[in-house]
Amino acid sequence: MANIVKVPVVPTALKSDWSPPQPTAKSISPLVERRLLPAGTAYLGHVRRAVHKLTFEEHDKHVEEEQKRLNALNGNGADGEDDLGVGDEEENEDLLTLDPKEWKKQDHYAVLGLSHLRYKATPDQIKIAHRKKVLKHHPDKKAGAVGDSNDDAFFKCIQKAMEVLTNPERRRQFDSVDPHYEDLEADVPTAKQVKDAKDPQKYFFKEFSAVFEREARFSKKQPVPMLGQYDASKEEVEGFYDFWYNFDSWRSFEYLDKEINEGSDNRDDKRYTEKKNKSERARRKKEDTARLRQIVDLTLSLDPRIKRIKEEEKAAREAKKKGKGGAANGVSQKQKEEEEKKKAEEEAKKKEEEEKVARAEAKKAKAAAANAAKKARRQARAAEETAA
Amino acid sequence: MAIQTPPNGTAEAPIEVSEVPTVVGINFGNSYASIAVLTKEGSSECIANEDGERQIACAIAFHGEQTYIGNQAKHQLVKNSQNTITGFRNLLGKKFSEIPSNKLTISAPVIQHPKHADEPAYKVEVLEAAPSPLPPTASNTPAASQVATPRSEPTPATRYLTPSEVTSIFLTSLVKSAEDFLGKSVQGAVITVPAWFSESQKAALEKAAADAGINVLQLLEEAGAVAVTTTSEAVADLPKDRTQLVVDLGSSGLELALLSIREGLAYSLATLSDHTVGGDFIDDKLIKFFAKEFTKKTKTPLNVAPSEGTQDKRAEAKLRLAVEHTKRTLSASPGAANCSVESLKEGLDYTGSINRLRFDMEMRSIYDQVYSKVKELIASAGLDLYDVDEIVYVGGSASLPGLDETLAQGFSENVVTPFTAGTVVGGGIGDPTTILARGAALQAKIIVSLPENTDEEKEVKLAFTGHEGSEWIKTKATSKSLGLIFPEENAEGSLGGQWVPVILKETAVPARRTVQVDVDLGEASGEQKVGFEVVEVKEGIKIEKEKPPKVEYDDDDDEAPEEDEEEEEIEVKEKTIEKESVLTSLSFVAKQSRQEQGRWRTTVEVQLIVGEDGGLEVSAWEVAKDGSKGEKVVTTVAAA
Repeated sequence: MANIVKVPVVPTALKSDWSPPQPTAKSISPLVERRLLPAGTAYLGHVRRAVHKLTFEEHDKHVEEEQKRLNALNGNGADGEDDLGVGDEEENEDLLTLDPKEWKKQDHYAVLGLSHLRYKATPDQIKIAHRKKVLKHHPDKKAGAVGDSNDDAFFKCIQKAMEVLTNPERRRQFDSVDPHYEDLEADVPTAKQVKDAKDPQKYFFKEFSAVFEREARFSKKQPVPMLGQYDASKEEVEGFYDFWYNFDSWRSFEYLDKEINEGSDNRDDKRYTEKKNKSERARRKKEDTARLRQIVDLTLSLDPRIKRIKEEEKAAREAKKKGKGGAANGVSQKQKEEEEKKKAEEEAKKKEEEEKVARAEAKKAKAAAANAAKKARRQARAAEETAA
Repeated sequence: MAIQTPPNGTAEAPIEVSEVPTVVGINFGNSYASIAVLTKEGSSECIANEDGERQIACAIAFHGEQTYIGNQAKHQLVKNSQNTITGFRNLLGKKFSEIPSNKLTISAPVIQHPKHADEPAYKVEVLEAAPSPLPPTASNTPAASQVATPRSEPTPATRYLTPSEVTSIFLTSLVKSAEDFLGKSVQGAVITVPAWFSESQKAALEKAAADAGINVLQLLEEAGAVAVTTTSEAVADLPKDRTQLVVDLGSSGLELALLSIREGLAYSLATLSDHTVGGDFIDDKLIKFFAKEFTKKTKTPLNVAPSEGTQDKRAEAKLRLAVEHTKRTLSASPGAANCSVESLKEGLDYTGSINRLRFDMEMRSIYDQVYSKVKELIASAGLDLYDVDEIVYVGGSASLPGLDETLAQGFSENVVTPFTAGTVVGGGIGDPTTILARGAALQAKIIVSLPENTDEEKEVKLAFTGHEGSEWIKTKATSKSLGLIFPEENAEGSLGGQWVPVILKETAVPARRTVQVDVDLGEASGEQKVGFEVVEVKEGIKIEKEKPPKVEYDDDDDEAPEEDEEEEEIEVKEKTIEKESVLTSLSFVAKQSRQEQGRWRTTVEVQLIVGEDGGLEVSAWEVAKDGSKGEKVVTTVAAA
């Protein structure tokens, strides 16, 4: 591409009366003959332009194409430019000061800068991410730098994370207890939250879809049926609950085992720890199964689709019954119902109107009586005055 | 691993094997050679041979049935110098009658080839293995024993080797080293040659390489290899257009080249070679120094360089090997360097040391000679030391920091040398010992990836691989710098405005340069005009002598400042620019102006293209903040 040189100077404003000066030379000074060194890409570009008779713009385009061709030739696989969407994640202070001894507690995905991918990261992505981090944090890179150049703690963390994530078995164990999801698992929406929401139906689908998407990663069977939408068919909804009540999870809790003291000669001690770990694992697994069960139970109880399906079924049943009993079909029955409703309404209206009229008449009579009494009193007073 | 939801990357990256052939770059000097290979990242790297040497001595020694190549062969110079061949590259392609016969040699003598007329050859004594006896069969021997007949003793023989054959043997071993390193067979190589190599010498080298089974992609001039290396990687604070001085101080001579590098396109403005200075002379001085010390310490007379008598000769050879290490230590670290030789003479060991200051003192005459040659070279190009933007050192002897210090005093303060840029240590980009090989490897990469499908593409490839015959290396270049002048009201000097250089002198045409300038438009917000002149300028160097206060103007001067004589007179040099002629001018109304701190500004890009015939096309456009380009204003100046 054309190389643009940015000049740091800022010329001042043009004088208002500036007029372009007359050229004092017709052309540039005569050219001199030189012999180029046949070397480098620039010479290649020069020769290409001359041989193919290209202008600079045409050559720019040509160079771009060439670059593409070369990339293809070189094989731009996993170790090429494409980082498969690994990207660069910010490394905060907490992350960089991790203690490699506490590796069990570290978030391996965050260490490798894969916290946006987590269990979805492919082995290739992990490899790329690891390479990126190593290039940045290798102790050799820090040699000679100011400060503690022997500080390779974070590098050790990176190596540990790589060790865990590249071993399928260990990665599965870590994924089982991924600290990132632990917090999320804790706040599954409650029945009250759903009821109190502005739009319970929308809230339900939004919250619980996320929950099930998260849980789906533990399934041995893939793909996993998801919660879906309100208008899902009965089969879909039934399939969903059927699957989730018989959920087959690979989740395991070896990662949280207590360290067996390898150095210890005491066999009993080892066996005791092993036994404890085993029972702990079983307990956790049980708890996890129960937890999932609870979630599914809760979902089932709150699912607006169940109500809808039930109603639909009822309606269908009744329609079937009526269809068996008489000529009236569902539609006429509905009409009848509506007519009845209308009638009742009309009657109620009439009644109300009548009452209104009666009330008005009573009022009138009352007022007339009051007027008459007044009149009588006035007449009586007048009679007394005349008498005096 | 767990079964997953569909991944968001490709799980199985296709395994693609690179289809680019394996190529190497070989720097083939007279005394030392080096090999470079391409790295995965696309740069090149100098590799070590089996002995762990990156600088492989060009020497071959024959001892009995053994053949030693490289630095091992150099050690044979002590005891077996008559069968050790060194300095054979410079004899390539030469006739016997062309070789100066009086040349002092410490290795195998060059003689007339016994069979081919007027061809030089080395005569070496070797032991030839006797032909292996026939395996015993039932028919060919009546003997009852089934034991194989023992091999008879090897017989002494005399071999005559031409320089071409020696080169073949040596190049084969280099390629072998590279293949061992890479684990792949080498399919092509670029070999560097000095600028003064004649066509017949190049042809001889090519033939020798072909005999060694090497596919030579190009014989690249050393200056070209330097240009490739120095332009390949972006050197941060260097402009793309610069004048580069290449100082190649090899062991057998000094090669100087002044290159004009314009966006990577390089040609040499002047070259100079001097064979009266070089690493061997540094060695001479150093071993003389140590021999004197030895004599002082042990009261044993030792005369070296030149030495007489076998004892002294052997002592000289031993010292020569030892000081190699001393020199390298001096280049690498600022402290003192040791030189130890066991049984230097009459069974006496010697251990001495020299520090950098003392060394530089001893080498003063050599440094000064290099400096005067550099001045000579630059003067022959009609330039001043101040016109040089960058110095590049090549060759082991050029890694000496004392040389850089001596040279740097004459140049402008902001000249970039590998020492100031800090790229010498740790095999950085400016490492003088490997720069040629790395350049050659990069060049090999360029050539090998050229397509060859059409005639035109073949023509392009030939422009690299062809010899002097290639018409494409001939080019025309501008003789004056072109640039823009933005007029200013109270401008200083004769220019009458702000000078923005665009195309420097000595730029090969066709050339295109684009500059981006932020232009001030004043405070008023009415119609805002941008205008500038396109001018040719004359550049010069103003030399001011502080004391006595006398001003001298000199444009292309070559006067050498004599520091010693004029101690008080400090010369202050300054680059000057004079307007030579106005070619055209351009103005337009700014539409994309923006307000910054109460003043209006706009960003303008100006592009100058000089065609092959010398025609000039000036185009300018505004660049809006979002990067979009405004209307283009174009004017042209016809060719002469």
